[in-house]
Amino acid sequence: MRIVLAFVFLLVLPLAAHADSSFLDIQEVTSPGGIKAWLVEDHSVPVVSMKFGFKGAGAKLDPADKQGLSRMLSNTMDEGAGDLDSQEFQRHLLELSISISFSSDRDNFTGSLYTLTRNSEVAYELLGDALSVPRFDAEPVERMKRANQSRIRSALSNPDWIAARLMNDMAYEGHVYAQNSGGTLSSLESITPDDLRRLHKSSLGKNNLVVAVSGDITKEDLGTALDQIFSRLPEASLPEEPARIDIQNQGQTALYKKDIPQTIIEMIQPGIGRDDPDYQTAQVMNFILGSSGFGSRLTNEIREKRGLTYGVYSYIMDYEYTNGIGVSTSTKNESVSEILGILKQEWETMKTKPVSQQELETAKSYLIGSLPISLSSTNSIAGLLLSLQLDEMPIDYLDDREKKIKAVTPEDVQSIAMRLLDMNKMTTILVGQPEGITADKTIETLPNVE
Amino acid sequence: MNQKRFLLALLIFLLWQTPGVAQQVKTDNKVFNAEHFTLDNGLEIIVIPNHRAPVVTHMVWYRVGAADEPSGKSGIAHFLEHLMFKGSAVIGGKDLAAGEFSKKIKSLGGQDNAFTSQDYTAYYQSVAAEHLETVMRMEAGRMRGLKMAREDVESERNVILEERRQRTENNPAARLDEEMSAALFVNHPYGTPVIGWYHEMEKLSWEDARNFYDKWYAPNNAILVVSGDVSGEQVWELAKKIYGKIKKHDVPKRSRTTIPPFEAPKTVTLTDPVVRQPVIQKLYRVPSYRQNSGESLFLETLVEIMSGGPTSRLYKALVVEQKIASSASMGYRSNVWDDAELVISATPNPGYTVEDVEKALMEQIDILLDEGVSDDETVSAISRMQSSAIYARDSLQGPAMTFGGALTTGSKISDIEYWPQIIAHISNFDVNAVAQKYLSTESKDAAPPVTGYLLPPAQEPQENSDQSTGETE
Repeated sequence: MRIVLAFVFLLVLPLAAHADSSFLDIQEVTSPGGIKAWLVEDHSVPVVSMKFGFKGAGAKLDPADKQGLSRMLSNTMDEGAGDLDSQEFQRHLLELSISISFSSDRDNFTGSLYTLTRNSEVAYELLGDALSVPRFDAEPVERMKRANQSRIRSALSNPDWIAARLMNDMAYEGHVYAQNSGGTLSSLESITPDDLRRLHKSSLGKNNLVVAVSGDITKEDLGTALDQIFSRLPEASLPEEPARIDIQNQGQTALYKKDIPQTIIEMIQPGIGRDDPDYQTAQVMNFILGSSGFGSRLTNEIREKRGLTYGVYSYIMDYEYTNGIGVSTSTKNESVSEILGILKQEWETMKTKPVSQQELETAKSYLIGSLPISLSSTNSIAGLLLSLQLDEMPIDYLDDREKKIKAVTPEDVQSIAMRLLDMNKMTTILVGQPEGITADKTIETLPNVE
Repeated sequence: MNQKRFLLALLIFLLWQTPGVAQQVKTDNKVFNAEHFTLDNGLEIIVIPNHRAPVVTHMVWYRVGAADEPSGKSGIAHFLEHLMFKGSAVIGGKDLAAGEFSKKIKSLGGQDNAFTSQDYTAYYQSVAAEHLETVMRMEAGRMRGLKMAREDVESERNVILEERRQRTENNPAARLDEEMSAALFVNHPYGTPVIGWYHEMEKLSWEDARNFYDKWYAPNNAILVVSGDVSGEQVWELAKKIYGKIKKHDVPKRSRTTIPPFEAPKTVTLTDPVVRQPVIQKLYRVPSYRQNSGESLFLETLVEIMSGGPTSRLYKALVVEQKIASSASMGYRSNVWDDAELVISATPNPGYTVEDVEKALMEQIDILLDEGVSDDETVSAISRMQSSAIYARDSLQGPAMTFGGALTTGSKISDIEYWPQIIAHISNFDVNAVAQKYLSTESKDAAPPVTGYLLPPAQEPQENSDQSTGETE
């Protein structure tokens, strides 16, 4: 799941970024009741997209024996509220084509509302009820357990999922991040409606709420809507924060043997946080190295020149309590050691030689210019505004980001590469039957699945 | 190219399951307000103005796909799509070497990719509006000016084999889908996967790709779709200047074999030790939009009633009430040239077998056939489908995908623009008639379904040996 999230982050954030302020005019709105939101007004299509998050209310709150609790909360909050049971609640949404959904990642609990303007009144009412008076009836809770268990059993035939699961276990060993945020087959079984009620009451409050809105709504109407939706929330009381953790098992390679023709390769080493002054420089380096797909050095060397893979990507992931630089790829079993050799070489080249002016210019143009392209729907705009707030970025972050990217020099890229890149610190997971590889350990049973 | 090829192809249908019917409706209340032109060389042009952001999506759709491949060359349409990034001419500019196409797009701050289906192959770029002319010169250049080197064909063949390993060989559910399609589409190219069969992919050559390209890629076999911050007139002027330079060229008519009238339902069982969650699926062969636009719209409405969300018939019965499955759904993709598939699938909860779930699914089909859908259900389904047309406008690429996917598979522009008004006339009688016609075992018009089971080795259904399950109760 982590890898998936990392990619989503890649697509939504780094690609997303910039905009001259005339293009993305972010307004800060405060409701009469004191609820704050960021708004980008856009009346071109009669729809409203609202995304909100509860900071710190993600899967990191899950007790070890109730892994998946936060995920289950996200699955059940739209399954009945107030006087409406699950089927009635869903029927109201469906009849007016309103989408309400919740989701949970390691750090945060988030939700979204997408509605036609003409149905927005009912939409706000239903969302307000889902947030404040969710029912957690036994039937939907059981049903969502079954759905999650089925998802896990299906994922067990997906080697990418297995690799990601093992990476979480190895890279964050001993930390709450090593848990399975989607739950385990047995932990899900033990979750009760009361567990969900407790988590809901303690973790979703006005004090850890952030809201982002885009679409066909004015500042004034949003003010009213914010109170209507969120004013009934209590104050959240979150437990003490977990400690920071560096990538664990550095330099170790773990193998999970599976009778498949292609080996999945996942690697991760310590990285850089968004609050670091050199974060944008690291993004430029990562683009040139491997995040950009076609045109990146890794894709050139591994796919274009040698035909060894269908896809190879590097990424920067930044969670609240850790960060890393990772690589994901896959190749036929006999080519695994060749790919690992090329990765090592590219890591060195990035450190020993400055990038070319042309590589740098392409990276800058893309990182700055692709933002408006990725912001062509109300959902993508609201999604960007939400992630900026969850990461506690200032409202002018996009302008600052553009300035920083423009200022990056080849020397800056080389020095961040020297600071960050280190193949010897890689934690490596292989799933398949790689040839010519000596793993430090062979994993027989998947942790945090059963 | 195409990390997201299949996903994108799928998206077309998810974003908005096909548009509709042939009859013209008199109203100016169009969904997208697209403009339409045709160049002298036969290139069709669709422009969908959208001035929300200063960006455009530029797509070229060729009316050729995997189902048009010569026999024994499976995968060549998709392989060619990869090779289109291996060097090409530029109208009024310097040739691009292998790999330079995408690099150039990125240096403009843009994104590009491509995807292949059974019936079409499409290439697209999203860029700032000021770069539209540049990408047009590049895309027009490779319409007849592909310059791939032999050594690049060699390495790229390994890439598509890795793609097949990743998507199919490593994934038992994908292997089951492949075998079910092969069983449903007998004597028809839809029975062959878009990516190709491994043993044929291994042998695809530079000549195979070149021949396929020379035969099918031409302005008169393509549709240019541009959406975004641009006017119809601007696109027309640019396209005339750039695409207008490419000569028309004879393209053969699509010639597809047809499926014989088989009688027996078939069962395909795939067992693999990695499977932990069994799945049951049923494939029915039904008309595509091109084959029968009216029935196709009725089928879409039926699917919305049976499977549109958590209150729909299948989910409510099997998952909420009977609690024997964790998912249950029906799907239909009408944007295909030849016969379409209607798929019913479900995943059993622990303690229930695929046969239990299959029985429950078929009970729902029987209830549908015996009692029909109500007027209320139909009205509500249509209203939701109409709302989806408003949401469809909240996107840059989505509308371009909708037009490209529909027009390359036989829809007309008016079918898309007036879809909400056209579907307003559908009644529950229409929906019930189409259900009777294609899902009833009594119907002369219904092709026998293919039932598929994905199972762990120990859990094969007992009747697996007689190859004849799939009857309704």
